[in-house]
Amino acid sequence: MITLSHFIVLGAILFCIAVAGLFINRKNVIVLLMAIELMLLAVNINFVAFSRFGHDVAGQVFVFFILTVAAAESAIGLAILVLLFRNRSTVNVAEIDSMKG
Amino acid sequence: MIDPNLFQLVCFYAFGAVAVLSALAVISVRNSVHAVLSLVLTFFSVACIWMLAEAEFLAIALIVVYVGAVMVLFLFVVMMLDIDMEHLREGFVRFLPVGLVVAVVMLLEMLGLIGVRVMHAQTLGANPAGDSNTAWLGKALYSQYLLPFEIAALILTVGVVAAVALTLRQRQGVKHQRASQQVLVNPRDRVRVVKMAAERPADAAPAQEPQA
Amino acid sequence: MPTLNDILVLLPEFYLVAVACLLLLLDAFMKPEQRGTLHWISVVVLLVATYLVVAGQPDVTVTAFGGMFVRDQVSEILKVFALLSTVLVFIYARPYLVERKQFIGEFYTLMIFAVIGVMLLVSAGNLIMVYLGLELLTLSSYALVALNRDSSLSSEAAIKYFVLGALSSGMLLYGMSMVYGATGSLDLVQLHTVVTQSAMPHLLVFGLIFMLVGIAFKLGAAPFHMWIPDVYQGASTPVTTFIASTSKLAAFGMAWRLLETGLGGLSQHWQPMLAAVAVLSMAIGNLVAIVQTNLKRMLAYSTISHMGYLLVGLVNAGPEGYSSAMFYAISYALMSTVSFGVILALSRAGFECEEISDLKGLNQRSPWFAALMALALFSLAGVPPLFGFYAKYLVLQAAIDAHMLWLAIVGAVFAIIGLYYYLHVVKVMYFDKPEEGGADQPQADASLRVVLSINGLALLVLGVYWGPLLGWCRHSFGLG
Repeated sequence: MITLSHFIVLGAILFCIAVAGLFINRKNVIVLLMAIELMLLAVNINFVAFSRFGHDVAGQVFVFFILTVAAAESAIGLAILVLLFRNRSTVNVAEIDSMKG
Repeated sequence: MIDPNLFQLVCFYAFGAVAVLSALAVISVRNSVHAVLSLVLTFFSVACIWMLAEAEFLAIALIVVYVGAVMVLFLFVVMMLDIDMEHLREGFVRFLPVGLVVAVVMLLEMLGLIGVRVMHAQTLGANPAGDSNTAWLGKALYSQYLLPFEIAALILTVGVVAAVALTLRQRQGVKHQRASQQVLVNPRDRVRVVKMAAERPADAAPAQEPQA
Repeated sequence: MPTLNDILVLLPEFYLVAVACLLLLLDAFMKPEQRGTLHWISVVVLLVATYLVVAGQPDVTVTAFGGMFVRDQVSEILKVFALLSTVLVFIYARPYLVERKQFIGEFYTLMIFAVIGVMLLVSAGNLIMVYLGLELLTLSSYALVALNRDSSLSSEAAIKYFVLGALSSGMLLYGMSMVYGATGSLDLVQLHTVVTQSAMPHLLVFGLIFMLVGIAFKLGAAPFHMWIPDVYQGASTPVTTFIASTSKLAAFGMAWRLLETGLGGLSQHWQPMLAAVAVLSMAIGNLVAIVQTNLKRMLAYSTISHMGYLLVGLVNAGPEGYSSAMFYAISYALMSTVSFGVILALSRAGFECEEISDLKGLNQRSPWFAALMALALFSLAGVPPLFGFYAKYLVLQAAIDAHMLWLAIVGAVFAIIGLYYYLHVVKVMYFDKPEEGGADQPQADASLRVVLSINGLALLVLGVYWGPLLGWCRHSFGLG
């Protein structure tokens, strides 16, 4: 029998993998962006599960909007990344350090 | 005859395991292209899990929007930018233990706080959507959630405007082909026959005349 | 189903959306020489929107689209000041943008889209609307920061802003999903009623923590402040001005909507957490600002400390505290537009006026701008009788009312420490010898001079005659 906890635990595991990914891939911006996508996926799993088990449509509607916004967000993020690569020829976060203080 | 509940559970564990393993691959593989492809696999398995939760519309949307559009965009950018992978891996081993410890501790704390036991009592009841998940979602989206729907359209507009404004470059001195002008061209504008009297340069020798 | 009445409630927002789309089209068919008209059209458009907000101000709270959108006094005030501060940004930015050949239509349309995001965010009646309004604002802001395409500093600031912003959105959403799981509702008013009787209180507090992290990120409060200095320094100064003024009003609106309208019943949980964040912000902001040599970076750390003071007002968790925090947000928006406005006025082609040393001997070159800058800095420092002083006094008073005397004392101590770096800049302007190549007599155009002067003098006037504005703020929270 699948229970609510199955989904929420899966969401929590994916969320923690995303946080670990942010920690260990501090240098590669592309992997950072992918880790953030994983985090949003964890959120979406939560919403779908709570919506299904709570018999409420709002959670699934929220997921619909998160998917829409994430599409626009990654378009802008990748545009900024292309811009950065043009200007600096690197996606290495450690080298992106002209501002300090 | 296999128990449908058991079958569901087996499917959940199978897809869940694939999702977790491919998510781990996303953050740990050496090659960014492989990482993108692992993320595609993660999305795909999660879509299957949403199918188990009878959220069919979102499962398809996840594949169409994410796998079909967002991940292709990622792949495109990864391949377009010529990235020096080896260099980016420096520090990976150094941060690995910290990252693992943080993730495991955080997971344990989260599971403790969330109260998994309470949720374990909640089982998959009757589907609130009835026959069609899409109709259920669609009705809510176009009545109660009409305003957010319009704003989502606005956000997509901002995405388009921003992406174009950031990456479109009009370089100076680049020669463009203008098809409309090419089609509209008139032979009379191109070649002009000029009538003029025959001339002989003052210093030209008569011997060169046949070649001229 | 939405009726005509619903649309009338959202008239200012719908009007701005329509005009933003028209401006986008107009810009596409406009010759580059005619961009000046676009500037004035945008200014008029925002002023008309301000008029629509004020003219349609309802006496009682009105909701539209089934509770998605709430038009109340609080949102009206925040909208009016968000629109006005954006008008100020437009006016201050024009000479700067023209000189740097960045005078493009997208600057105006993206700003207007961002303001629409602010207006929707402060009027949100549902967690979905909070998220969408916030994303409309932040997505436009990411693009605005990166809009200076040939500067590697800008794209660097933009990518940092983007990664941390997306991360904070993820945190906020994770918190929202947990709150939704515990209560089964996304509607803020419903949340308020069911929050105290949830079957899963642990889950609720767990979600609250993640939401607080997201809110602190968006406000730029320590320890989630890492993006603020880099974005302030890397973005072109007009965009920095926008992020420092309009976005802060929006962040206050979001914090109030989520914490009071939605999760007001959990105030005993979020009060101590906010107090800790406030103390940390005041400490980090005021201490790190002392060692800065870049003026924009110094003002960034000053922002962090000011967000700490704003949170001190919120910690009170009562109408007195909220009205003082709103008063603080408005005063901060007006002060930061003056300080960045002077930086914009002193910049000219090829010279940014970003270092504190660029201001050396400003008094001898252009005494009026030096006076305005000094006014803004004294007000930021909280020197009486300026606007900033009274705002600080109110939030510290709110902390004392909430029986948190220690918080008020900490705030007062850091305000005195903060005085040092503001006075240092004033000293540089008035007592140091001017350097060659520093800011000279600016060629700023007339509209900038006039509006900046009015904005600067407003700090003095409101510092003495704060009654009506404070009355308006208090009235919006149901106080006499």
